[in-house]
Amino acid sequence: MGEVILEMKKIDKSFPGVHALNNVDFEVKRGEVHALMGENGAGKSTLMKVLTGIYTKDSGTIIYEGKEVEFHSTREAQDAGIVIVHQELNMVGHLTVAQNIFIGREFKKGIRIDDKKMNEEAKKLFDRLNIDIDPTMTMSDLTVGKQQMCEIAKAISHDAKVIVFDEPSAALTEAEIEDLFKIIRDLREQQMGIVYISHRMDEIKVITDRVTVMRDGCYVGTLITEESTKDDIVNMMVGRVIYEEPKTQSQVAKDAPVVLKVEHLNAGRMVQDISFELHKGEILGFSGLMGAGRTETARAIFGADPKESGEIYVNGQPVTINSPEDAVRAGIGYLSEDRKRFGIVVQKTVAENTTMADLPNYMKGLFIDKKKEREVAKKFVDSLATKTPSVDQMVINLSGGNQQKVVIAKWLCKNCDILIFDEPTRGIDVGAKNEIYKLMNKLASEGKSIIMISSEMTEILRMSDRVVVMCEGRKTGELMIEDTTQEKIMNLATRDIN
Amino acid sequence: MEKKKVPAKIFKQEVIVFLVVIALLIFFCVASPDFRKYTTILTIMDYSYYIVLMAIGVAFPLITGGVDLSIGTGLVCYSLAGGYLIMFKGWPTGLAMIVSILFGLAIGTLNGILIGVMDLPPFLGTLCTCMITRGLGSICSKNTGISWPTTGQPGSWFRSIFKYETAGGTKIPLGFLWVLLLAIIMHFVLNHTKIGRYTIAIGSNKEAAILSGINVKFYHIMAYTISGLFAALASIAYSAVFKTVLPGTGAGFELEAIGGAIIGGVSATGGAGSIIGTFIGVFVICLLKTGLPFIGLQANWQQIVTGLVLIGSVMVDIIKKKREAKK
Amino acid sequence: MKKKVLATIVSAAMVATLLAGCSGAAAPAAPAAEAAPAATEEAAPAEEAPAEEAAPAADAAAGDLDFKIVVKSFQSSYWQAAVQGVNQAAEELGVKVECNGPNAESDIADQVNMLTNYINGAPSGIGLAACDQSACLDALQMAKDAGIPVVCFDSGCPDAPEGSVLSTIATDNYGAGATAAENLYAALKDSIASATAPVRIGEVNQESTSESITQRGLGFIDKFSELASADGKKVAVVGNEFYVNGAKDKGDEASADIIIEVAVPAQTTVELCATEASAIMNKSDVLGIFGSNQVAAEGILSANENLNKLGTEAGKDILAAGFDAGTVIKQAIKDGKMFGAVTQSPLAMGKTTVETLYKIANGETVSDIATDGYWYDNSNMDAPDIAPNLYD
Repeated sequence: MGEVILEMKKIDKSFPGVHALNNVDFEVKRGEVHALMGENGAGKSTLMKVLTGIYTKDSGTIIYEGKEVEFHSTREAQDAGIVIVHQELNMVGHLTVAQNIFIGREFKKGIRIDDKKMNEEAKKLFDRLNIDIDPTMTMSDLTVGKQQMCEIAKAISHDAKVIVFDEPSAALTEAEIEDLFKIIRDLREQQMGIVYISHRMDEIKVITDRVTVMRDGCYVGTLITEESTKDDIVNMMVGRVIYEEPKTQSQVAKDAPVVLKVEHLNAGRMVQDISFELHKGEILGFSGLMGAGRTETARAIFGADPKESGEIYVNGQPVTINSPEDAVRAGIGYLSEDRKRFGIVVQKTVAENTTMADLPNYMKGLFIDKKKEREVAKKFVDSLATKTPSVDQMVINLSGGNQQKVVIAKWLCKNCDILIFDEPTRGIDVGAKNEIYKLMNKLASEGKSIIMISSEMTEILRMSDRVVVMCEGRKTGELMIEDTTQEKIMNLATRDIN
Repeated sequence: MEKKKVPAKIFKQEVIVFLVVIALLIFFCVASPDFRKYTTILTIMDYSYYIVLMAIGVAFPLITGGVDLSIGTGLVCYSLAGGYLIMFKGWPTGLAMIVSILFGLAIGTLNGILIGVMDLPPFLGTLCTCMITRGLGSICSKNTGISWPTTGQPGSWFRSIFKYETAGGTKIPLGFLWVLLLAIIMHFVLNHTKIGRYTIAIGSNKEAAILSGINVKFYHIMAYTISGLFAALASIAYSAVFKTVLPGTGAGFELEAIGGAIIGGVSATGGAGSIIGTFIGVFVICLLKTGLPFIGLQANWQQIVTGLVLIGSVMVDIIKKKREAKK
Repeated sequence: MKKKVLATIVSAAMVATLLAGCSGAAAPAAPAAEAAPAATEEAAPAEEAPAEEAAPAADAAAGDLDFKIVVKSFQSSYWQAAVQGVNQAAEELGVKVECNGPNAESDIADQVNMLTNYINGAPSGIGLAACDQSACLDALQMAKDAGIPVVCFDSGCPDAPEGSVLSTIATDNYGAGATAAENLYAALKDSIASATAPVRIGEVNQESTSESITQRGLGFIDKFSELASADGKKVAVVGNEFYVNGAKDKGDEASADIIIEVAVPAQTTVELCATEASAIMNKSDVLGIFGSNQVAAEGILSANENLNKLGTEAGKDILAAGFDAGTVIKQAIKDGKMFGAVTQSPLAMGKTTVETLYKIANGETVSDIATDGYWYDNSNMDAPDIAPNLYD
């Protein structure tokens, strides 16, 4: 590790009603990977946005390469050598790799854009990073992992001295994460300062040198990674110990009836010959890597995507599901991984979202019975412990965890007995995660049956009574929780790869 | 070689549309003996100029993921304004044409500001300017039909830009050359200059464009300014070919242009498109428009057939997208 | 220079009437915003000064009379001439008149809306040139119930409720169409007589909904058939269903010596009329073609730009007969591109409309007035009885 390249001192930033950053200190040295951790809403992103000029700080100083600086746009920060690799990929799908890397600062020959030179420069860049990507490929034809590599290449091409990775591994396969780490280590060798934002404890241990933890907009402390344990970090993040052990025993009665049976389901390349059973009161985990076809399977069952073949039985009766409407009628509810797009209407109130799927039961003649609607919403707010000032609150103002609870309330309101949770805790902070887990356990003990799709191994191990593993559109195994280990799942999840 | 992969894909769409044009030509030639004449080519060309020009322009807003509904009424408005100056104020034709073009640039830029800066939905913003230009056109012309100089009158030189008559009386559809040239230039602009590159970027992923430090507002405005400019050029082509322009008309012209662009492979949801494809796509529309009366189809049926062809080509776009998504 | 003066007069007169109309209850037309300060001075005397001398002693004070005129559109200079006539009469009689019309002649709904608005404003009388014969019927019933007298001009409303339309002032459109047929037939008679194979006559009508256009179209078809039959030729009518079914004798295409082909575009624009015209003119057996108004006639001329088939020599060229005037048509007749055309007298029609409304307001009984259509060609364009009707 070299000298300090970037230092942020006593950074303060308020938004109307929120004190987002409260006297935060943070520093990065040349040739170090510095993890920035904290629950959602702890202020990590805000801090990085202040750094790169998206937000203006209220007070505090930023010292970069020995000089006090203040950037007013991402462009200025980039020009100075500070770049962010965003969590959401910011690529223009219709353009080529090289065109994306040099967007905003194209090489030109007269008024003509010099694509040839851009391709050559991109190639050089990739060679330097040991990445094997053809710069003339169209971006949307690349896998998510490769796109991420391009994003990194783009960042480096700015002559970067400090690179911020914002949850870079969220969408990557194990192999891709390995490649990513290789690149990060290379960059560290080249004496760059690297900020690594992630929720994944195991990665932090592997790749970082130091960890700075934030909580509720405040700086909590900085640890040397090698000298600290997982629990140390987690304790700093939440201020309490919450790490819980995996489930060791299935909670489902031996004679519990089968409520959902799927046989030989086919729907495109991502869903090939899927069969499984779901018992009453069971939490069935669906594990696998990104792109294993779990969400596609759920969507096919739910009727959101067309099926090619296969039978579905609910409570022993064959059902035809050609649309989500059919699925809901059969008592199946689907909680999408992308709540904002598919789960809730953020500009509507808690009450309106709660009754959305079951509106016909809340009508008084031609009009919606607002009183009854509020009553039932209140009931679910209480029973799910949703934190909201009132049922008339706009959902957009709730935190991720509470939004998720509103979606759950929606399906419970519709009396769905089979619930498909797709990544139920994505984007939800650690404390709220626990609540969602408790709630799922409660629902299961009340006789609801749950399919839980999750990419987090700990979540699968902690919640599932049984685990189905998928890989590249096929079911590769089924494990009782008693026999399940992380290694067994990984083995099944990568079985067909290579 | 992987290198040519991207152009090859776009090229394919152009080839398909070109084949459709050839097929339509053959069909009409077989179906109607009267169609097989040099004068038919002249007629098709006459009808194509203003639609092609509008289509080249509107391709840019379409590629940003927007649309420009004001080009049809805009065309009539700019033509009325220029024609009025010639007919009633005695202005020289060239000067009046410049006024028409400036008018088009202004309305286009207004559209761009409404959509790019004030964030109006493109459909709504340009619908407003569509109404505004319709009214403005009537006001500019004092509510009367305007005739641009007809051949033989002073100031009619501009007509021979589009159709040149040799000493022997042979008519040459010179306009095709200019329109093709403009299409090639704009094809280059779309694929090889910043304006084009950022137009695609805005349509494909506006957020990414902003985060890349691009002045998205400016380039968003530019897309609509180009559309306005080409609507103005189209107004000159229209005036040259048809001479008479009637206030209150023009609504519907934009649909033919948008239809041509979409047939030519401009994605209805933005982010992709080809100007050469647009150029060829418009000829599908023009061929239907001129050819269908030849086989004795009544006007209302002509519109139905054109509508069906459009549905077909949009479906091709959608099916293609779905296939790509499945990959 | 002449054009400039004319334009200034027309626009000033328009603005004047518009300003006058502002005082009425009905919404002023859009171009009112254009009002130049200069126009205000002209407007004031137009309203007041002549009122005292013009009004006959015992009758309603002319200054209190306020008439609303709804034209089909302002698209062609034909309507400009009509509005000019209306304003002349208003000035002479010292009454308030407001003119309005939809953007295009095909905007039927807009026109009905304007009419209804006017009726709600309870004016002293309404002059109407209906875009559509039947769309106005409900509004006319309203006018009748409200006791507002209506005078139709240019196009009649034959099915209007009894007593709502007190007078119809129109060119005898059927007769005018027949006039075109007579002249065209006379020129083509020898070619038709000597033809060995069936020959074709084209007709382009901008629409098939208004009375004036349909009557002209049918008048042409029927007269042409009648003349040809008298010479022992069999005639068939093909094309647009409305005109085929409306013709007295639609004949049989297979055995006909003369085929009259009728085309109607989907919208009333020059370029669509031109498409239809060019499809007909491309056929090798065409002897003549008729365009039943200014837009249709200009469409025929536009199609000829490429085809170059029109002329005045029967048998060799296609003879085109037009309708109305305007620079493009007048130039074409001068150049020998167009054989001739029928003109109406829009100016007189507009004037008579206001005069008739005035008579009604003064309790006089009125009846229908038919104005004539005149045939003109290169030989008589400058004749004193024709020239004034050939507006630009």
